[in-house]
Amino acid sequence: MSREAYVAPTSAFNTGTTVDPGPGLTTQYICGDCNQKVLLKQGDGIRCKECGHRILYKERTKRMVQFEAR
Amino acid sequence: MAPARVSQTELDARKIVGVNAETVTNVSSTDIPGHYPGEDHEWDLEDFRNTFKVKFHKHQPFDCAFSLIGIDASIANAFRRILIAEIPTLAIEYVFVHNNTSIVQDEVLSHRLGLIPLTGNPAGLRWLQQYRKPTDEDPVGSGVQDVNTVVMKLKVECTKADNYDELNKKREDDPRLLYKHAHVYAKDLEFVVSGRQDTFFSGEANQIKPVHPDILLAKMRPGQCIDMEMHCIKGIGADHAKFSPVATASYRLLPTISITKPILGNEAKKFARCFPKGVIGLEEVSRSEAKQKGSGYEGHEGEKKAVVKNTFKDTVSRECLRHPEFEGKVKLGRVRDHFIFMVESTGQYQSDELFLESVSILKEKCASMKRGLAEYTR
Ligand SMILES: [Zn+2]
Repeated sequence: MSREAYVAPTSAFNTGTTVDPGPGLTTQYICGDCNQKVLLKQGDGIRCKECGHRILYKERTKRMVQFEAR
Repeated sequence: MAPARVSQTELDARKIVGVNAETVTNVSSTDIPGHYPGEDHEWDLEDFRNTFKVKFHKHQPFDCAFSLIGIDASIANAFRRILIAEIPTLAIEYVFVHNNTSIVQDEVLSHRLGLIPLTGNPAGLRWLQQYRKPTDEDPVGSGVQDVNTVVMKLKVECTKADNYDELNKKREDDPRLLYKHAHVYAKDLEFVVSGRQDTFFSGEANQIKPVHPDILLAKMRPGQCIDMEMHCIKGIGADHAKFSPVATASYRLLPTISITKPILGNEAKKFARCFPKGVIGLEEVSRSEAKQKGSGYEGHEGEKKAVVKNTFKDTVSRECLRHPEFEGKVKLGRVRDHFIFMVESTGQYQSDELFLESVSILKEKCASMKRGLAEYTR
């Protein structure tokens, strides 16, 4: 079963520049309680803006994933 | 030396496999050259033509039962195995998941999709070729083409029903009414025509679709969605059970029951109860039978006796062999060359078609064997 290929980090001290949106950019999360979409910037508190729930989920990848029907 | 004369009763007796309480006797066929000195048992096409019989018992599109009489177990078994594992059928093989926020994991959903029996225009299904996967020796394979790949789509999103609030007020709790697409069924699969496939698979009747539209694939709630594309290819059951065209193909040997000594009165009733309904019948002992000396019927005129009615229905449970009163009065067996086939199709091809297909595949195998031998001895 082939999930997305794992890409090894290029340098040991590069703590994931590909994932980190950097300052000013926002990433979308989903509230674990009210299912509301939550936009977070770097440094923002991990908290739902609607209900204050502290558990947020990452969205599913937008990339196509291939499986064998076996 | 002239071939030895063997009586028909002897020949018939040789065909019976003995079924005893704990043992099975006379298992192997003996009609092979050299087994009986002086007898000619060489296989002869003309002879086979005259003795071989096919008899249908049930003939439904997707379920049939028939007898092959006068064939060797090796050939009958070859047909059975080919039916299960070597007739190519179309099934979903690759799943490209664009989005799946349902609670069914991608892997599990893909697996479920693969097992859905598909159907479509039979001529088109026959026109489709087998897809060759890329391997180390053949890095390209056959490539994805219209002749070897059928594309299907599944794009469903669960939303609240138009009258959701009204239903909710009435405390409706059926999710299928409260939400649209709460249940994802096989009928939600959508066929996508590619290339020359439109000549075969255009229109509602001819398009590739699941045999059973109501197979439940997943359940969803508002906000969840499934968006995937599938590639169906032709494969064989030996590779994966989803490609097997039958569910399942099997045979059994015709049972025989011979009552060697009379079973009368209440014993006859008990004897009949040892078998499924219709196997054993009760008949009155006739005057002429009662008159016959040494028949065991003397003085029993008018009494009920057990007679064999229809051994086809027997399951050979051997129940009658457990009772001491029937000891030495009955002999159970099976006819070694009478194969009762049961072929149940999953729906892509008709059952009788499948059997003929298995015959042609065996034929093709023999031809390739012959070619190989010719090559080898050249
Ligand atoms: Zn929330």
